[in-house]
Amino acid sequence: MTGKESSPPGLALWLLRHTCPGEHKEALAGDLVERFREGQTRSWFWKQVFIASTVSVVGSIRRRWPLFCYAIAGTIAMGFEPLRQVSASLHSLLHWSDLPWPWSQLIFELSSPAIVALTSLSILAVGLEITRSFRWAYLLRTWIINLTLIAIGHYSIDMFPWLLRSVPGDPYHKALIVPGAMQISLLVSTFLVAAWLGCPMVEHVDKSERRTAER
Amino acid sequence: MTRRGYLGEMELMVLLAVVRLGDEAYGVPVSKELLILAKREVSVGSIYAALERLERKGFVSSSVGDPTPERGGRAKRYFRATPNGVRALKTTRAALTKLWSGIPLLKGGNL
Repeated sequence: MTGKESSPPGLALWLLRHTCPGEHKEALAGDLVERFREGQTRSWFWKQVFIASTVSVVGSIRRRWPLFCYAIAGTIAMGFEPLRQVSASLHSLLHWSDLPWPWSQLIFELSSPAIVALTSLSILAVGLEITRSFRWAYLLRTWIINLTLIAIGHYSIDMFPWLLRSVPGDPYHKALIVPGAMQISLLVSTFLVAAWLGCPMVEHVDKSERRTAER
Repeated sequence: MTRRGYLGEMELMVLLAVVRLGDEAYGVPVSKELLILAKREVSVGSIYAALERLERKGFVSSSVGDPTPERGGRAKRYFRATPNGVRALKTTRAALTKLWSGIPLLKGGNL
């Protein structure tokens, strides 16, 4: 083998490093390099990396199913009219519009997503309880991150005015020109990222499984 | 033993290979052992996925060896069956033996 032929594909190693979480990824990469230098082909190496990445990603998703349930529930709840009406009722009941600017505007624009996220947290809480990963801190953290991401998304739209179009008959409102499917995907991603960052639940699953095994 | 304490087929084969290999159990020999003895060509990634599950269940423990040049300076991770792992193997064998026994169709060499 020449120098280049004896080196495993760098891109494949990069992919492996970035798609396989966990403490074993360096050992796995080392094992693949060892087999490659024993005479395996580059296509074998790529196939192994592809399988390892797929197994790792699927395993990661399976362990975090409550986060996906939360993301789907949150997205559905965003379009649920009664929850918006709760927000409107709270506005008129608590007179939030009397607050000084910018608080009045912030509450006006973010109270509805806050209530939606709060409601969807019940789904996340049940999922975390089933996987024995429940922590109040996770819920609080997820809620705060979710609101922050929604606020960033909401206010950053103003930087891209070409993404907005006027609503006929309503001079005060503008609608996004982005296709509906993309809007839903963005919303699901927002809830998912918030839950993913808010619930580092893998370690607790490990502990519970180990306790189960020791019984 | 609860549901999570059971060994799946892949976990069972990987754990047996780890026990057979003793102090030399890491990804490459485990995959070779499965190929030679079980005639199963299993990807190294799938073996590590099974080893991670076994580790989470407390059936194996792992330790890092020294980095070697033939692995691009990467260290080996050696796995060793824990007493819980050995107990799980014995429980699985006992359950399988009970299920296996008393089936006339499976007596003898040929099906």
